[in-house]
Amino acid sequence: MGEIRLTRKEKEKYLSHDPKITDVINSLVTHYKLPKSKALYKQIDTAIALARKFNEEVVKPVYKQIDLNVTQDNEYLCWDVINKANEWGFNTLFIPKMFGGQGMNLIAMYPFVEEIASVCVGLANVVCVHYLGFATLCASWNLKLMNEISREVKRGEKTGNPCLISLAITEPGAGTDVEETMLIDRGRIETIGQKVEGGYSVNGSKIFISNGHVSTWHILICYTNKNKPSGTTVMLAVKNGMKGFRFGHREKKMGQKACVASELIFENCFVPDKYVCMQWSDLSERSSKSVVEVIQTVIDNVVSSTRAGVAAFAVGAARGAYETALAYSRKKIVNGIPLINHQWAQSMLAEMYKNVNMGRAAYMESAYANAMHGLAKTLSVRPIFYADMLVPSWCFTMISPIFNLKIMTWLFRLLNFYRYPQESAEIQSGWASLTKFGCTDLGIINTQKAIQLMGIDGCRHDIGAEKYLRDAKLLQIYEGTNQLNRINLFKNLVGRSMPEVKVF
Amino acid sequence: MNIQATAQIFTEELQAISDMAKNFASKELVAKREENDHYPFGELFTETIKNASDVGFYGVNLPAEYGGTGMGYSALSSILENLSMADASMAGIIFTNAAAIEIINQASRDTDCSALYNMLSAKEALPIAFSSFTGIGEMEIPGASEKGEITGRINFLCLGGISRYAVLPARESTHGARISYYILDLDKHGIKKSEPVYSLGLHACPGVDVFLEKVPAILIGLSGKGIKYFQSMQSHLSLGAAALSLGILKGSFMEALQYTKDRFQGGRQIINWSEVRMILANMAIEIQAGQSCLAAACNELENGVTEWEKTACAIAIHVAEMACRATVDGVQLLGGNGYMKDYGQEKRMRDAHQAQCLLGMAPVRKMELIDLIIKESQ
Repeated sequence: MGEIRLTRKEKEKYLSHDPKITDVINSLVTHYKLPKSKALYKQIDTAIALARKFNEEVVKPVYKQIDLNVTQDNEYLCWDVINKANEWGFNTLFIPKMFGGQGMNLIAMYPFVEEIASVCVGLANVVCVHYLGFATLCASWNLKLMNEISREVKRGEKTGNPCLISLAITEPGAGTDVEETMLIDRGRIETIGQKVEGGYSVNGSKIFISNGHVSTWHILICYTNKNKPSGTTVMLAVKNGMKGFRFGHREKKMGQKACVASELIFENCFVPDKYVCMQWSDLSERSSKSVVEVIQTVIDNVVSSTRAGVAAFAVGAARGAYETALAYSRKKIVNGIPLINHQWAQSMLAEMYKNVNMGRAAYMESAYANAMHGLAKTLSVRPIFYADMLVPSWCFTMISPIFNLKIMTWLFRLLNFYRYPQESAEIQSGWASLTKFGCTDLGIINTQKAIQLMGIDGCRHDIGAEKYLRDAKLLQIYEGTNQLNRINLFKNLVGRSMPEVKVF
Repeated sequence: MNIQATAQIFTEELQAISDMAKNFASKELVAKREENDHYPFGELFTETIKNASDVGFYGVNLPAEYGGTGMGYSALSSILENLSMADASMAGIIFTNAAAIEIINQASRDTDCSALYNMLSAKEALPIAFSSFTGIGEMEIPGASEKGEITGRINFLCLGGISRYAVLPARESTHGARISYYILDLDKHGIKKSEPVYSLGLHACPGVDVFLEKVPAILIGLSGKGIKYFQSMQSHLSLGAAALSLGILKGSFMEALQYTKDRFQGGRQIINWSEVRMILANMAIEIQAGQSCLAAACNELENGVTEWEKTACAIAIHVAEMACRATVDGVQLLGGNGYMKDYGQEKRMRDAHQAQCLLGMAPVRKMELIDLIIKESQ
């Protein structure tokens, strides 16, 4: 048999067709480009082992009771777990060493999240939604504030006073709208930051803010012009105790009860200039991209990181439901024989197992896309990757004043805002949406199957399957509804090369 | 009277029952929906349960000579559907009671059950507790001594915490494989009850785990006929289960329709996004299909069409599955608000998933249906 050889031109021709390798096999691209994939593997397996130990020692003994406590008293906050997570170093685990953190690679965060969510999605959110706030802060590339707030989180670990960061973006009249610049100008925006001497005066409210009541810092997205929010976006860091800022009510949720969903109220809240993470007026000074395009890049960078995280939560829920149903089916007798020996039950369990593993493969692809194209891209650049891995923390502490230099922020914004390629945005954002709605739908499917397989026992709180269903449902809603994410995938990975396509 | 006239009267009566259920739901259930969904459980539904008795909701399948209305399963389905649109917990109570009564109805074909019926016609004897969420093949069944004393455990005995009487199966000690149904007084010595079990949905229709130690009980019907009675009950109550799920689904659709008209996203009413309309369309299709199926099945039962049981079983499974799927979408259409207790959608989603367990595990019921079809085809 003869050997078929491709000329270089032929290869280029065939590889230029959709689907391109760089679009769809992010893991392959990452392993080709990322230095030291063995080190990455070690970080991931450490993260998984750490999460499992945390589950055994902290989460499993309390998660059902916390769910009941919140059901009985909506004011209940699970400070014990928050303090434990702080004690275990989870609040700085994924913060780069250069900012005082432990510098574990962000790719490892996703399997870490899955592990905790496989026991309790609510507590996984309590432990990890802090990184949503941190990611948003990072997406501003305000290195001075990133360094200052990250080091305060580190001090909180040392002193035993958790310093968490929340993200405040959703408004009473605008949920989906605030996650997409093409929609936001048509949305009902109410939280306005007015520029005043020395800072901003903020009025309005934010709702559904995960970990709001237990966080110290709140990365607030507001707008100077309610009629043109897409081009007048301001990102502020609001700290507890600032005049004019207070917490409002706590939502009564169906699930994920451990993680408080807070209302944040701003009444003439003054935020000094030093806590302005990013303001549109700074962005408009550059001409290579419009303000709206930069804002969209910021949003894409944040939600691409966090949507993959939501997908990992969902895989955790799907896995928890599967594992609960599997354990149950080994003990339960149906029509005289163990449930696990009914072939139809084996088939259902196999389907659930498949969903978990397909979901994991998908969210890891998104994690790799983020490492190559998203917020973590900078950390994947070889000198920075090696520096963060090999240079001791004290060294970074010594040189950290360098982050206060405006030129550092300028430089990182140049790279991450103005020279950020559209193709990267499409891959990371498209994949994040794919995994977000794909995995969260699988989460619901698996939790439903668990209840079908377990009957009324699956509905009992003391047995545990029903909680996964309640918890999983929120995953289809937050970080952009699955409907928004379907359109976002279409926009970024399907319709991008079709000039006739219009979305939204 | 000709058939057409009879049908006309029947339709009018059914309409009157439907209206009564709607009125009951709007007066008794809607305003207290969140309160009755509360945990820990308080004085659940006490007044409402009594009022449901006063309007005769517990007597729909009880023979007229014992105080029932004897109106049958079209009427029961109509009541359950209309109540479930507002709050399915009350429908769960009526369903559970009807399931217990149907066991006695089936037994009355074999033996004289007038003494039992008379017992139940006493004040506050209804509703009866019953394991309405468990199929007989998946139950942990207690044992019955020769003297008719029951010992063992019944998990999630629905209404066990509030009812005077319970209908439950037991294995005969002399013939281990034979299962019979018994009725017992839940106030008797030898009974221990757990706290109401906190479950996914239908919180105002709670179950308890019951531990029995030599509790005297009365045999219902013939000894060893428990499985037969259960299967017949299952067929009849399948229509009720389908109606209950359909009501939840309808309630979810109506709330989603209203919300998507009222709220704006991206500068237009949410309902004007075609992706949203498609979800609503799918829900509407499931309601129309479910409604037609249920009406057809009720018709088959009322007219004694052969094989109505298979239709009823298939519809119960199918509508319950549709309701689970659609109520998840019903939450989705309200976004974050759908997930919060301020709206009824999250409760409907929970209720629909628990309602899917009525009469037993759905996959087991599917297998039973196909077993029956295969058996008949041979």
